[in-house]
Amino acid sequence: MSDPDLHSPNKSSGGFSTPVGTRRSFFQWVTGGIAAIIGLGMAFPLAAYFVSPAFNRRKPSWVPVGKVDDLPVGSPKVLDYSMKVKDGWMETKAVKAVWAIRHSDNDVTVFSPICPHLGCGFRWNQQDAQFQCPCHGSVYDLSGKVLGGPAPRPLDALPSKIENGELQVLYKEFQSGLSIQKEL
Amino acid sequence: MASRIYTWLDSRLRLKSLEKTLLDEPIPGGASWNYVFGSATLFLFVLQAITGIFLAVYYVPSPDHAYDTVQYIQHEVWFGWFVRGLHHWGASGVMLAIGLHMLQVFFDGAYKPPREMMWMVGVVLFLIMMGFGFTGYLLPWDQNAYWATQVGINMAGAVPLVGDFVLHVLRGGETLGALTLSRFFAIHVLMLPAIIVIGIALHLFILRRVGPAGPWDEERAKQGSETFYPRQVYMDAVVMLGVFVALVILAATIEFPLADKADPSDNSFVPVPEWYFLFYYQLLKYFHGPFAPLAIWIFPSIFFLGLFLLPFIDRHPERRVSRRPVTLGAGFVFLLGMFVLLGISLNDLYAVPKTDPSVIRGQELVAQHSCKTCHRIHGEGAAIAPDLSFVADRRPDREWHLRHFRDPKSVSPGSFMPKFPLDDQEVTDLTNYILTLKSGT
Repeated sequence: MSDPDLHSPNKSSGGFSTPVGTRRSFFQWVTGGIAAIIGLGMAFPLAAYFVSPAFNRRKPSWVPVGKVDDLPVGSPKVLDYSMKVKDGWMETKAVKAVWAIRHSDNDVTVFSPICPHLGCGFRWNQQDAQFQCPCHGSVYDLSGKVLGGPAPRPLDALPSKIENGELQVLYKEFQSGLSIQKEL
Repeated sequence: MASRIYTWLDSRLRLKSLEKTLLDEPIPGGASWNYVFGSATLFLFVLQAITGIFLAVYYVPSPDHAYDTVQYIQHEVWFGWFVRGLHHWGASGVMLAIGLHMLQVFFDGAYKPPREMMWMVGVVLFLIMMGFGFTGYLLPWDQNAYWATQVGINMAGAVPLVGDFVLHVLRGGETLGALTLSRFFAIHVLMLPAIIVIGIALHLFILRRVGPAGPWDEERAKQGSETFYPRQVYMDAVVMLGVFVALVILAATIEFPLADKADPSDNSFVPVPEWYFLFYYQLLKYFHGPFAPLAIWIFPSIFFLGLFLLPFIDRHPERRVSRRPVTLGAGFVFLLGMFVLLGISLNDLYAVPKTDPSVIRGQELVAQHSCKTCHRIHGEGAAIAPDLSFVADRRPDREWHLRHFRDPKSVSPGSFMPKFPLDDQEVTDLTNYILTLKSGT
C-alpha cells in the first residue's frame, strides 16, 4: 500500500475544506513563486557580500622611493620605503623594498623584489653580476632575463617615473609560478 | 528528472510519509490570516540567523575594531548595507511579530488547556529573544550601544541579593569594556542560538502533539478542518514576502544611524533605547528614590512571572472573548498603558514645539551655527561639548542662558565654546529653543 500522493488533488486526504483542483494549484504556484523570490533575493546579495573583498581591489598609487641621484649607475640597489596598506577596516604601515637599477642619468628600471618562481626574495651578486634567488636557484641578469634555474618568466618590472629628481614607483604584486605576468 | 530523483530518494528515505506528516496537519476551522504570526516570527528568526552568520564574516568583537568593522560592512562590503540593514530591522521585526503572535494567542485563549506548555515555552522564547536584543545592541560599539548597555547592566545590578553578582558577571570586568563586548558577542552568536533552537523545536513539537487551537467560536470550528498545505502555507508565504519586502525597503531607504564610536569617558551622552523598550524607558522616569526598584525589577519580574504562569492564573477553559472580561480587561489595560507611555516618550524625544516661531528660529540658528559639531541633541551631533538633549532640566535659568550665549566664559569660566556673533533677537531665540530641551514636554 502506498501513501496518497499529495500533489494529486483527486487522491488528497486533506480536510473538509482543503482546496482541490485549479484552486489548489494556484496556492502551490504562489507559494513556490514566493519561495523563489525570497530565496534568490537572499542568495544573490549574500553571495556578493561574501566574495566582495576578493574583487574589491585597491587602486595602486605612486609612491616616492628615493632620490635618483643617490643611485649608483650600472649597479642595482635595494630601496626600502614605507607605505600605507589598507587591510579591510585596518590601515597599517608596511615596509616594502624594490630593486632599482640606474642605467644612465634619468633611465631607471625598477624590479619587484619577489622572485617570479615561487615568491622568495632574491639578491644581487656583484661578483657574478647576477640576481640570484637563494630558495630554488633561479638566476637573472641585470635586465631581468632568466639565465638559469626554474624561473618561468623574467623579473617583474614595476612602472616607475622620475619627478623633480625623485624616483616614484607604482607598487604591484604578481602571482608567482606563471609564465605570464598576472597581477594580484 | 526532478521527480525521478525524488522517487529514488523516496524509495529509500520514505519522504512522502514525512511530507504528509509535515503538510497534512489538520487546522480546525480552516486556514486563516490570524494564524500567520507564528510563521512570520519563525521566518524573521531564520533571517536573523542567516544575516547574523554573514555579519560575522567581517565583524570583530573587540573595542579596537568593532565600530570600524561595522562601518566597513555598511560602506565598503558589497550589499553590506543589505545584510546589516536586514539584521537591524529584522531585530525590530522579530519583536513586533512576537508581540502580535502573543496577542493573537492571548486574545484567542489559545494558551488554555491543553496548550499551557506551548505558551510557557513561548514566553521563555520571548525572554531569550530579549536577551538577543540586549546583547546584540552592544555589538556595534557606538555611543548609543555603550551607554544603553551601561544602563541595562546597572538595572540588573539594582536587584537585591543577586544584583551585584549578575552585574559583575554581565560586565565581565571592572568596567564595561573589552571583556563585556567579547562575552556579549559569545552569548549573542553562540550560546543563545543554541538555546533558542532547542526552545523553538520544543515549541513546534508541542504544537504538533496537541495541534492548533482553532477558532473559539464553536460554529466556525464545526465547519470542519483543512490541511496546513496548501492554503495556510500560502498565507504564511504571502506574509513572509510582505515582511521580506518591508525589511529590504527599510534597509535600502533608511541608513541605520550609527552614533559616534563608544567613548567611555563621555558621561554626557544620553542613550535612547530601541522603540520596543521606549514605554519602559518612560516608566522608569516616574519612579524616584525608594520607589525606583518598583520599575527597575519588581514590575518586570511580576509581569514575566504572570505571563509565564498565565495558563494557571486564568484557569477557566472558556475561550470565548465575551466570557473572559477580567483577563482580556487586564491585557487591554496593559496595552493601553504601554501605548500611552510609548506616546509620551516619542513626544518627548521627537516632538518639536511648533507654536512659538522664536523656538523655530532658535532651532534654525543651531543648524546655521553648526552647534552640533560639538553638542549632541537627541542622538544627533558630536559629543565634544555637553549633550543638550535635556539641558533645560539641568539649567532652567533663562537669565543664565541669555548671558551664556552673549559670552560663554562670563557664566562658565574655562568653557571653550566660542563667542558667536549673535544679536539680541538671536540670543532670545536660541534661549527659547534651549529651554524646550527638557524631559516631559
